[in-house]
Amino acid sequence: MFAYVIRRIIQSFFVLMIVMLFTFSLPYFQTHGIVAPAYTVLGTKATPYNVAVWAKQHGMDATYFHRFWTYATQVLFHFNLGRSYKENSSVWGIISLYVPRTIWLAAVSLILTTIIAIPLGIYQASRRNTVGDYTATGVAFVLYAMPNFLLAMLLLDAFSFHWPHLPNSPPQGVQAWAIFTDPVGFILPVAALTMLSVAGLSRYMRGTVLEVLVQDYVRTAKAKGCSGSRTLFKHAFRNALGPIIVLLGLSIPALLGGALIIESVFNYEGLGIQTVFAATNLDLPTVLGITLLVAILTLLGNLLADVALGLVNPRIRIEGNSR
Amino acid sequence: MTDLTERERERVALLEPADTPITLNADEQIVPMWKQRVRIFVHNKLAIASVLFLLITVGSCFLVPLFHPTNQTNQALTFGLPWNQAPSWHHWLGTDSSGFDELGRIFFGGEYSLTLGFFAGFITIVVGTTYGMISGFAGGVTDTIMMRIIDAFLSIPYLFLLITLISIFNRSTVFLICIIGFTLWWGNARIIRGDALLIRNLEYSQAATAMGARKWHIIRHHVFPNSISNIVTVATFSIADAILFLSALGFLGLGIQAPPTDWGTMLQAGTSQIQNGFWWEIYPLALIFILVVVSINYIGDALRDCFEVRLLER
Repeated sequence: MFAYVIRRIIQSFFVLMIVMLFTFSLPYFQTHGIVAPAYTVLGTKATPYNVAVWAKQHGMDATYFHRFWTYATQVLFHFNLGRSYKENSSVWGIISLYVPRTIWLAAVSLILTTIIAIPLGIYQASRRNTVGDYTATGVAFVLYAMPNFLLAMLLLDAFSFHWPHLPNSPPQGVQAWAIFTDPVGFILPVAALTMLSVAGLSRYMRGTVLEVLVQDYVRTAKAKGCSGSRTLFKHAFRNALGPIIVLLGLSIPALLGGALIIESVFNYEGLGIQTVFAATNLDLPTVLGITLLVAILTLLGNLLADVALGLVNPRIRIEGNSR
Repeated sequence: MTDLTERERERVALLEPADTPITLNADEQIVPMWKQRVRIFVHNKLAIASVLFLLITVGSCFLVPLFHPTNQTNQALTFGLPWNQAPSWHHWLGTDSSGFDELGRIFFGGEYSLTLGFFAGFITIVVGTTYGMISGFAGGVTDTIMMRIIDAFLSIPYLFLLITLISIFNRSTVFLICIIGFTLWWGNARIIRGDALLIRNLEYSQAATAMGARKWHIIRHHVFPNSISNIVTVATFSIADAILFLSALGFLGLGIQAPPTDWGTMLQAGTSQIQNGFWWEIYPLALIFILVVVSINYIGDALRDCFEVRLLER
């Protein structure tokens, strides 16, 4: 188990290096290359000489690899995500207040998704080809085909306008714990995000459980006289748990992407709104910083999922290198 | 949904060993494989309905404006006209908040959304297949590195990646096609690579290798034909995904820039009018949009069944 976790961590680290290489290299493709911020700071009519001086002052004349080394060490050891020249502030300074808000939104939705999607998948697989199964599949199909914002907007219209029982926006302000102290405002955004990720997952969830249900050991369990529920939970569910955890881990990027849309619809100040604002403001360092941050969050989530997978799957726990 | 029943039942039944071996009588004719595939597809009523719906939608998006042109670009022409008109004989689906004919605008936006989705999906599948094949076939260190690169890009939530790229490059339609097409293939490459890896190690590929076949020959004659089912399926899903992501960009105001429009931008405009009760600006388009994506996804599912070898020769 320990060797397995260490191996996963090293692997994630390499993946993180590739992500950093990507976010580091992108500014070279701007209109003016990496010295583009110089034109923001010095004005559009800056002379080439002034731009060159500015670039030298900010260490932009160094070689590519030297700059990447600085960038990587800054990110890894100082958690410095870069500097926004438009806002004249560090990227972390701009977004730090909003990070917990997005994380809580996504985490609560992920927990709810788990609570809803797993039983739903088991129900659909064990009662397959019944009315309930068809209804769930149909609803998931439609929800999956719906643009995220449309679902959120329709929910908003229904529950906050036509039957005005719920607030149309979570409380403003940046308290990280607002989702627990004032939950009413969060019902709609969390519900929308949860519905989306359940719809995305349920297609796979049903298949995963179904695949386990047709295995020989399930038939054997039935043959030796195991009751239906005991077969389902003792034999099938335990074996389906591994793939389910993998699925949940893989759904994290979609969840964070969905959070971006949901935040914009419900005007919930979080990372998503900051990204869109920075993108429309052409503030590239902030966009890149946030992208790197959400990638790190995703990698951490996947790492957690892998550890959980190790915990439930004895093959991985004992051998350490079965995958 | 009745066809779904049958399909699922077949699938589950197929996972269990067959009771009787398949025998071929002397008077039975061997049906060519592609005919069997078409037969399976035609047998699926919902898939045929999806194809018909898509054909009608695509056809009307591109053909109706030729016969019944509506003004969709010049706001000066709509100035002074009552905006947000309810549906009438003159404007079948009313007019939107800029005074443009809503039905004509659905066709107009559809041209962009569907074209973009199709081309982006096409790029996706070409790049993804090539990458996956190379990675699966190279094996070893090359494969590991190529897959870690995919892991890296998959760990960036896709919308964030799109927004990053859009804030660097411009937002013309061609660039949007390229940006979506060249970034939506990570998952596809992984699936294709899995196929390539699997087929490469099967007996017939090994036999071909033993007989002195070159790698390129094996890819062309064994790996590609056998992974075509996944390639086709994944391609259809990619088109649907591309349309969905384009709509999300449209909602955020980062999509196709006016005067052209796309369904996402239109839905966004419609949802901002929803509380005024202008239902015609959102629900017809929302219905068409959802049906288009559902159809594409359903066709993907049906195609997967067509290529399912175990369903052939029933």
